[in-house]
Amino acid sequence: MELNPRRLISSPQRLRERLDAMEAEIQECRQLNLRVAELADAVAELLVPLADSDDPRVAEIIERYRLGVSTEGPRPVKPTPPSETA
Amino acid sequence: MATPSAVVTDVAVDDNGISFAADVDQPVDLFFDDQRIGSFWTVRDTTASTATLGARGRRTWAWPRSLRPHLDGTTELRLVVHATGEQVCAQRVTLGDGQGEISVVDARGNPLSLDKSQRLVRLFASRSIEQLTPLLDSMSSVIAALQEGGVEPFVAYGTLLGAVREKTFIGHDSDADLGYVSRRDHPADVMIESFALQRRLTEQGFLVTRYSGAAFKVIVTEPDGTLRGLDVFAGFLRDGELYLMGEVGTPYRSEWVFPLTEVELAGRTFPAPAVPERLLEAMYGPHWRVPDPAFKFETPIGVTRRLNGWFRGTRHRRESTWDPYWGQARALTKTTPSAFIRWVHRSEPKGTAVVDVGCGYGSDVLFVARRGRRAYGLDYVPRSYAPMAGRAEKMGFPATFLPTNLTELRSTYAATAELRSLRGPKVMTARHLLDSTSTLGRRNLLRMARTVLADGGRLYVQALVAPDPAGDPPGLRPVDIDAFVAEAERYGARVVLRREGRVDDVKLSPDNLSTRPGAPARNPDDPEADPSSAAITDGPGPETVQPAHLCRLVLQWN
Repeated sequence: MELNPRRLISSPQRLRERLDAMEAEIQECRQLNLRVAELADAVAELLVPLADSDDPRVAEIIERYRLGVSTEGPRPVKPTPPSETA
Repeated sequence: MATPSAVVTDVAVDDNGISFAADVDQPVDLFFDDQRIGSFWTVRDTTASTATLGARGRRTWAWPRSLRPHLDGTTELRLVVHATGEQVCAQRVTLGDGQGEISVVDARGNPLSLDKSQRLVRLFASRSIEQLTPLLDSMSSVIAALQEGGVEPFVAYGTLLGAVREKTFIGHDSDADLGYVSRRDHPADVMIESFALQRRLTEQGFLVTRYSGAAFKVIVTEPDGTLRGLDVFAGFLRDGELYLMGEVGTPYRSEWVFPLTEVELAGRTFPAPAVPERLLEAMYGPHWRVPDPAFKFETPIGVTRRLNGWFRGTRHRRESTWDPYWGQARALTKTTPSAFIRWVHRSEPKGTAVVDVGCGYGSDVLFVARRGRRAYGLDYVPRSYAPMAGRAEKMGFPATFLPTNLTELRSTYAATAELRSLRGPKVMTARHLLDSTSTLGRRNLLRMARTVLADGGRLYVQALVAPDPAGDPPGLRPVDIDAFVAEAERYGARVVLRREGRVDDVKLSPDNLSTRPGAPARNPDDPEADPSSAAITDGPGPETVQPAHLCRLVLQWN
C-alpha cells in the first residue's frame, strides 16, 4: 500500500482519488449498520418465534443449522429404542 | 432597514414564474388574494434572469412543480416582505388559459400552501385549535407509547420551535415532530430500538410509515379527512456528539437533554429537552428566534454523510419521483393491462399463480386475477394500487396486495415468508422494477425469487436497457442488464430466455421464439408502447412489438 506522504503531496490527483475511494469505503462501512439492525430484528422477531414450535420439520432445520455452524465436540446421541437382548 | 425599492421592484408574472429586480436577499410571502401560498428568499431561491434591468440583478422564482396544475385563471397576486409586513407588489395576473379564478385548494375545498419542501399541504395557519385536537391527542398517545417502549420523547424541530417561540404550532408548518435521544449509543442498536417502537405503535392501531432506520411517521386523520403526519426522530449521544435524525450532528452534553422538562403548546403541556434553546440552536442555527417561513436546513455535509450512511437508503426515488407521481389524480386512472402481462398470461398454463413485484397501478394483477389466476401485487407505494385493490375486492377476484419495500430487508423477508407458503405452481413478474429500484432492491428481488421459486416457476422481467427515444418514462433509468444477469446467476438463477430489441412478443416464450420487426406507437406514460393494450382479451391477443430499448428476461431456479 502506498503511504508515502511526500509522494502523495507531489501527486494531488492521486491523493484526491484515494480520498474519494476512502470516503466511499467509509460510507460502505456505515451502511452495514442498517443491514445488521434489520437482520437482528428479523432473527429476534421472526425466526425465533417461528422456531418456538413443536413441528418436527422445524426441529430438523434447527439441528441441521446447528451442525452446519459447528461440528466440534461430541455429536448429539439420538435415543435408541430399547434392545430386546439388553 | 431596506427601503421598498431595495427589496423587490419591477415585478412581472407569467406562466414560468415571478421575475423581479432585487439585490437584497430576504424572505417574501406570496399571496393569491388573501390566501398565503408560500414564501421564498429573493436571491437564494431564485435564478438570475437572462434579461437585465439596469445595474440591478433581475431574478426569477419559477413556479414550483406542485403549484403549476393550479395556475389557470386570474388572481390578485401580492408579495409581502415577511419581516416587515411591507407589501411590495399587488397586481391582477392571468395565468394558463385564464378561465375563472385561480384556486389552490384540496378536493374538499381546504386551502393549500407550499411547505419548505415546496409540497402543497394544509398548513397549521388554516386550522383552528378544535381542528388540531386529534393531532394533539395523537401526540399525547404516541408520547405515552414511546415512553412505554423505554425512550424519553420530546417535541422537536418545528414543533419545539413553535412551542418555545409562540406557545403554539408555527403557522407555516404542516407536520408535528417528536424526537428522543436513545440511551443506546450505536447506530445499529438505535435502529433496532426504533423498529421495536414502530411495532409497538402499529400494535396499538396507529398507521405508521418508515422513513429511514431512525425515523418514522405516524399518520393522523383529522375530522375533515386531512392527513397529518407526526414524525418520530431517533437520536443518540456518542463521544460527546449528538446525532438526531434527520439534520443534527453537533457537540452536545447529556445534561442539555436529560432530565426532560416541559413546554406549552396550543394550551397543553408536552415534554421538551432539558435546555430547549440548545437543541433549537443545533437545529436552526443561532438566529432561530427570527421567524423564517422559507427556512432551509444547512446541514454540514459530514453530518448528512453520516446520517445517510447509517440510517438512510430505504426510500429509493420515493420522495423525488413516486410520491409526486402517484399524487396526481390521473396516475391512478390507468386500468389497462400491459403487453408484458398478456405475454406472461399466454406463456403460463392455467392455474399458475402470478406474483407481480413492483405492481404500481395493479392493473396487471387484476388482469390475471379476473382470469382466475391467484394473483399478488407488491409495491412500496400502497396508494398506487389502492383503487385496483378495492376493485378486485368488490368483484371478488383472487387478488392480494402486499405493501412491500425491496430496499428494506425486513420488508423483503416478510413478503418472502408469506409468498413461500403459497402452494402450487407460481411465477413472479417484475415489469420495470429493475430500472426503477436501487442495486439493493434488485438484489432483494433475487433473494425473494430464489426462495419463492425454489420449488419451481419462473421470474419474468422487463426493463429499459437503453434510453427511450421518446424520453425515459417517469422514474425509470436504463439498467445494465448484463450486470443483473451476472448477479442473478450468482444467486443461482439460470436464464431461460433473453430478448432485446425489436422482437414480436406474441410467440415470445421459452418454447416458441420468433422475431419480427415493426414500429410501435407511443403512450407517453407507458414504456411498452403497446397501442393495443386498451382491449382486454383472452387468448393470443393482438400482435404487439417490443421496442428496441426494452429487454425481457425469464429466469429459473431449478
